[in-house]
Amino acid sequence: MDTPDDPLDCEIAELERKLAEAKARARRRQAQQPRQPPHPPHPTLPNYTDLPSPTAPPTPPSAANHFLLLLSDSALPLGSFAFSSGLESYLTHQKAPTTRLHHPSSSSPFSSFSTFLPLSLSSVAATSLPFVLAAHRLISIHPGRSADDGDDDGSSLLAAGLASLDDAADAAIPCTVARRASVAQGRALLSIWERAFAAGVAERQRGQQEQQPPPPPPPSRDAVEVAALKRFSALLKGAAPPGSGSGTAAAEDEADNDPPAVSAHLAPLFGAISAVLGLSAEQTAYVFLLGHTKAVVSAAVRAGVFGPYQAQRTLAGAGVQELIGAVVTREWHTPVEEAGQTVPVLDLWVGRHEVLYSRIFNS
Amino acid sequence: MTSPFPKSSSVGGEGLIVAALLPQGHSGLEAMTFQYPLKLITAMRPPDTRSALVFLLTYGGGLVGGDRVSLSIEVRPGARLSLATQGHTKIFKSPGPDVITRQLLRVDVAAGGALCLLPDPVQPFAESVYEQVQVFRMARGASLCLLDWVTQGRRAFGEDWSFVRWAGRNEVWLADGPGENKTGSQGGPGVVGTGDRLLVRDSLVLDSRRAHPQLPSLRETMHGVAVTGTLVLRGSLVKALADFFLAEFAALPRLGARDWRSESEAKRKQQEAQTPRERWRAERLRMEQENRVLWSAASVRGCVVVKFAAPELEAGRRWIGSMLAEEGSIARHFGEQALLCVR
Repeated sequence: MDTPDDPLDCEIAELERKLAEAKARARRRQAQQPRQPPHPPHPTLPNYTDLPSPTAPPTPPSAANHFLLLLSDSALPLGSFAFSSGLESYLTHQKAPTTRLHHPSSSSPFSSFSTFLPLSLSSVAATSLPFVLAAHRLISIHPGRSADDGDDDGSSLLAAGLASLDDAADAAIPCTVARRASVAQGRALLSIWERAFAAGVAERQRGQQEQQPPPPPPPSRDAVEVAALKRFSALLKGAAPPGSGSGTAAAEDEADNDPPAVSAHLAPLFGAISAVLGLSAEQTAYVFLLGHTKAVVSAAVRAGVFGPYQAQRTLAGAGVQELIGAVVTREWHTPVEEAGQTVPVLDLWVGRHEVLYSRIFNS
Repeated sequence: MTSPFPKSSSVGGEGLIVAALLPQGHSGLEAMTFQYPLKLITAMRPPDTRSALVFLLTYGGGLVGGDRVSLSIEVRPGARLSLATQGHTKIFKSPGPDVITRQLLRVDVAAGGALCLLPDPVQPFAESVYEQVQVFRMARGASLCLLDWVTQGRRAFGEDWSFVRWAGRNEVWLADGPGENKTGSQGGPGVVGTGDRLLVRDSLVLDSRRAHPQLPSLRETMHGVAVTGTLVLRGSLVKALADFFLAEFAALPRLGARDWRSESEAKRKQQEAQTPRERWRAERLRMEQENRVLWSAASVRGCVVVKFAAPELEAGRRWIGSMLAEEGSIARHFGEQALLCVR
């Protein structure tokens, strides 16, 4: 009870230190006041020598925060830069009178983009976010290892749950181009997990186990989750011939050719891997949609809609932040069965990306 | 799968259709029952014996706020069934946003059986609240042609996506084992079992209530289209039609391509269009451009999903009708009667 690291004691010590410092500053100021120069550089700004010393060393950020930053990094090799999520096709359709559905009052590329971004966010939230959140919940609620599981540590059940979400996601994307984009990024994320993040998680686990001398009970929750992702990956590798995600027309046309067991779509894998890395559901949803927004904005820069400062201005604006928050709230309770397209014309623009004469993106 | 609908005390609006192969080799109806507000009509002497034909109707020509319709359909082995409507399915204004008008369609198609559902579009009036779920449970070797489309409402009254909510979902499942004659009190056509596999879930959620003021209104979201639709094709009987849509989509002229030929050269080339199919295609492309019909086709897990939208309802109807008529296999397999609503 009476250990030096009792949190209450620490708090008292911390507050006492702050009080002492504040008193010292007050004394210094009183002593200086008579000798104050007639025109101080700034009345309230203390000289740098007077700055209070930092109170306590900062607590190191959690592993979850660390991974949150990594997942939001545009250098994360997901290949998102290759996809415009229908922006390129939309801009091309807006150019020609025979394919422009709408006659906007002003048709500059910038105003077109301002129309496109909220539509795209609304649509990706409605169609993908339920899968992200369901996969996150799946990982968060699994019971871990139960005593009488025998050989299996529970990871095969978890992997099966993830595979069935992936299968439902595969059935819900009715468009070749969007499927290709989702599968390419999902597989890239799985590779990042396998080649980089998994090792990072394992190191942290070893570190924790060394700090707690008595060996913890056999596989921890984390270990079950890691094993489940391994099983999922094995399902993918054992599944269908490579490239079945995009699919040759001939192979997929065989009416009774069953779809592969797993395809590795981005949304469910993003939810699952974020949960294993310790991100909360809110963080996961936010960083997923922010990642989508960043990809579309960056596509707009490369499509020549605006420059990099305008891009950052769009991203920094309160509008994007509020919009993401609003659509996350809208879809927070949407079950995957009820995920649906809110912008039907977007399906057409994305689907018709294939009929563009020149393309700089894959979607 | 559990029913997406809350239990209702009223059993109104339930219906059942069983189509089977009759002894003389024709498709006919073994059972047909319905309750208010659902109404089913079939011809005593069908004009065409290639498929049984049933009209899906409602008393009063539409569904009023809070109406529920739940129709179960079973297509027995080798049988063919065509479903049509007589005019739009009107969805009348709802007394409040919580009063939801619902339609549920559950279908079981057995091996060798086929269903062709080419109705008129659903027409949701201003202030209507509507949800529809259509579940198709397909045995291996079963075929399906399904059209689901929705309009902006009554344009003559200035309606332009003026309803509160329209949510529609189509699910195609691959049935585990023989799909026909499922017994058991919980069973029935289109009730998904544990061994069934979802092939396609196509879902549209149009809601006028915006999550954030920065989001465009529903009308702006629709980008001036008057009708948007989805055609889902699955199975050997519609394989040729599915391939036709994929081939025509692949043959669309590239957007943003420049034509370097002189005008007269281009015209001469066009007039040289040799086969009837090429002439038809050139004319169809001209109509597509003139009417700004946008469409796409994709092969998805053993099904072909075609999506289209047009700024005029009749342009959309002419487009889908022209595609189905030119390819011709729907009329061949189900009779001209199957195409009544898309002409």
